[in-house]
Amino acid sequence: MKNDIFFRKLQSSFFFLVMLVLSLMVFLPLICILYYVISRGIKAINLDFFTQIPSHVGDSGGGVLNAIMGSFYMVFLSIIIAVPWGLSAGIFLYDAPDDSRFAYLLRLSVDIIQSIPSIVIGIVAYVWFVMPMQKFSALSGSFALAIMMLPMIVRSTEETLRLIPKTLKEASLALGVPHYTTLFKIMIPSGVSGILTGGALSIGRVVGETAPLIFTAFGSPYLVHNILKPMDALPLLIYNCAMSPYESWHTLAWGASLILIFFTLCINLLIKIIVKKWEVVL
Amino acid sequence: MSNKILDIKNLNAFYQNHQILHDVTLNFFSNKATAIMGPSGCGKTTFIRCINRMHELDPKAKVTGEIILHNQNTLDMDSILVRRKIGMVFQRANPFPTMSIYDNVLAGYKLNGIKKSRDEKDEIVQDSLEKAGLWHEVKDFLHRKGTLLSGGQQQRLCIARSLAMKTEILLLDEPTSALDPYATANIEELIEELKKDVTIIIVTHNMSQAARVTDYTAFLYEGKLIEFGETEKLFTVPKHKMTEEYLAGRFG
Amino acid sequence: MLGEKTLKIFVFISAASVLLLLFVFASTLLWKSLPSIRVFGYKFLTGTTWDPISESFSALPFLVGTLVTSFLALLISFPFSLAIGVVLGEYFNTGVWSYFFRSLIELLAGIPSVVYGFWGLSFLVPRVRDLQVKFGVMPYGVGIFTSALVLAIMIIPFSALMLREMIYLVPKKYKEAALALGATRFEMIWKVALPYARSGIFAGFMLALGRAMGETMAVTMVIGNSNDFPRSIFSPGNTMSSLVANEFAEVSDNFYLSTIIQVALLLFLVTIFINIISKYITRKLSVRSSL
Repeated sequence: MKNDIFFRKLQSSFFFLVMLVLSLMVFLPLICILYYVISRGIKAINLDFFTQIPSHVGDSGGGVLNAIMGSFYMVFLSIIIAVPWGLSAGIFLYDAPDDSRFAYLLRLSVDIIQSIPSIVIGIVAYVWFVMPMQKFSALSGSFALAIMMLPMIVRSTEETLRLIPKTLKEASLALGVPHYTTLFKIMIPSGVSGILTGGALSIGRVVGETAPLIFTAFGSPYLVHNILKPMDALPLLIYNCAMSPYESWHTLAWGASLILIFFTLCINLLIKIIVKKWEVVL
Repeated sequence: MSNKILDIKNLNAFYQNHQILHDVTLNFFSNKATAIMGPSGCGKTTFIRCINRMHELDPKAKVTGEIILHNQNTLDMDSILVRRKIGMVFQRANPFPTMSIYDNVLAGYKLNGIKKSRDEKDEIVQDSLEKAGLWHEVKDFLHRKGTLLSGGQQQRLCIARSLAMKTEILLLDEPTSALDPYATANIEELIEELKKDVTIIIVTHNMSQAARVTDYTAFLYEGKLIEFGETEKLFTVPKHKMTEEYLAGRFG
Repeated sequence: MLGEKTLKIFVFISAASVLLLLFVFASTLLWKSLPSIRVFGYKFLTGTTWDPISESFSALPFLVGTLVTSFLALLISFPFSLAIGVVLGEYFNTGVWSYFFRSLIELLAGIPSVVYGFWGLSFLVPRVRDLQVKFGVMPYGVGIFTSALVLAIMIIPFSALMLREMIYLVPKKYKEAALALGATRFEMIWKVALPYARSGIFAGFMLALGRAMGETMAVTMVIGNSNDFPRSIFSPGNTMSSLVANEFAEVSDNFYLSTIIQVALLLFLVTIFINIISKYITRKLSVRSSL
């Protein structure tokens, strides 16, 4: 009997140890990736890196200003498309009666859109925009990114609104404020923290996306400010440079990876700040 | 006897297939306070929510009958206009968390897109807060968030918010049930003051509160109006046996 | 200020257009695949060659490629995800260390796919090549195994964090009941917590599987881009997504484009299927736990 308890305790400790070791092993690839990106990327980072466009094949140096600006433009544009759209679709879901068939279908659609592989979104954006316009454009890339952002914004809006006490809505309605005005002017501002978090998460999701941009924004070695023209983005540049045989371009790609990861980190940090600072005290 | 301001005839309220109010008929007199009293689940909250058309917010709810305000049946009016004339204060204070005290008072104007000049706004805010007995406590920090006030102050802010709309009738749905005795006493004193400007209809299950602050009392039981009359008479010589039993604490 | 009516219309249009978006999206894929569907019919799923020159197209090698890489990735990631779920859900479910650990896993989730691919290409591929030399197989370096390895790392955060949630949410009363009966912590986790959370755990892995199947860039960069039917897990191949990414640049005519879009359609259907199953299970769970 005594032995049995001893054995069981040993087994329990052994299990804990195995679980701990297995879970800590996940840091090996993380550390390895970060080591690669930081040690190689840091070599690329200098003033030129942020102010120049990539140099010609074979020349060393150059920068990724075109990709930084392109990422900025395209993500910004996709926010402009996706946020008002997703926000009001989220409001619709919040507002719909429980047994609404339409709301059920809409929720299902949002789930499905969320699960579409990004490359498939890229293909469809190609068919919708690039084929009729007969040229690659930043606009088509932004649209593909917007489709990726949409489900997250819809869902976070709906869920946030559901957490706000109903009494707030009633207080506004009792003042004779119309229904939709109440939703937009009272409910949305009260849920701003949750909605912004959803928005930031969706930016984090699309800023590193390459697949939907390959056939839409396509990439460009020049600094472009016209959204109807092909444009580069950081993940696209990483892909193109990584797949090239040139050492100097590889260095650029590592540098771009470093700032992309840094950017994602900033977004995670931003989310934590939003949650803390913008939380509306109810 | 005072003037009738609100004349309710054969009011029936439904939720899905369930009838909550049965043929309620009574009058409210202007510049008087009327208590709606009864055990929980008797339909008293539904009753006042019918008056400012809040009951119909849920598509499953239905109301029939007449609620006459100034010779007009409010049930035929635009619900939004009705709500601007008949204000409501809820069980739990609910100032808008994104707005300052100042903006909370003006919320009805802001949200309805009614423009006012700076001077007019200042005047409305001061006037409404004074009427709600809150002005002296908050006049130095009008631009702080309304949610930072104490529970009783928040409730008075909500009253000021309704008064700012120049409502004629103020519905109070158990306004003191979430407050401490001191804050409750404050609100009760306030009700006496408010009668100069508005007609008050207050839902309460606190009998002594009804006795203290109101001129008339309506006793509802299971969705039916059992008795209605001057508070003093109803409490001292109830006509109906059920009222007597309720007042004696035998049910409810 | 926007009027009430404008807002109402805007909300309705936004909602309706999401439905419309999905409908037009699926229709576009179907419509653009039609030329290819008409020619190949079900043979698109049974042949073994993809040869643009002789215009003989079959998606089977890529369907197999997708299934093999993602299931292999799931298999590799399984013990690690489970371990993280148990450690974060049961042993260290609150506190600074737990927060720190979770932040690092979120960081792993936040690394862009293309960076994983680049790292795979520069770090994993040479290592796998050395390994292949040792085992005496063709030392490609790139291939299905390498892709599965990268995918496994990429999907660990998703399944691990979901597992953590599921194990954490096992009601305390069951855990405590087990411990009160004299069970060790291991026995409690193994015999009470995990069985209780099993459908949630399953849903978590389905979610990760869906991720792996749709993942494009990292796979494209390390799979070797070969259209032949994969002979072993070490040989180069293509998944449906990597085929689309790789071949698109070489599209020469509309018919070829149509076959690629049909592959995209297939990928679309497979991932939706997996995700819907996972969502369905999660939703059923949330209904149960709210009772």
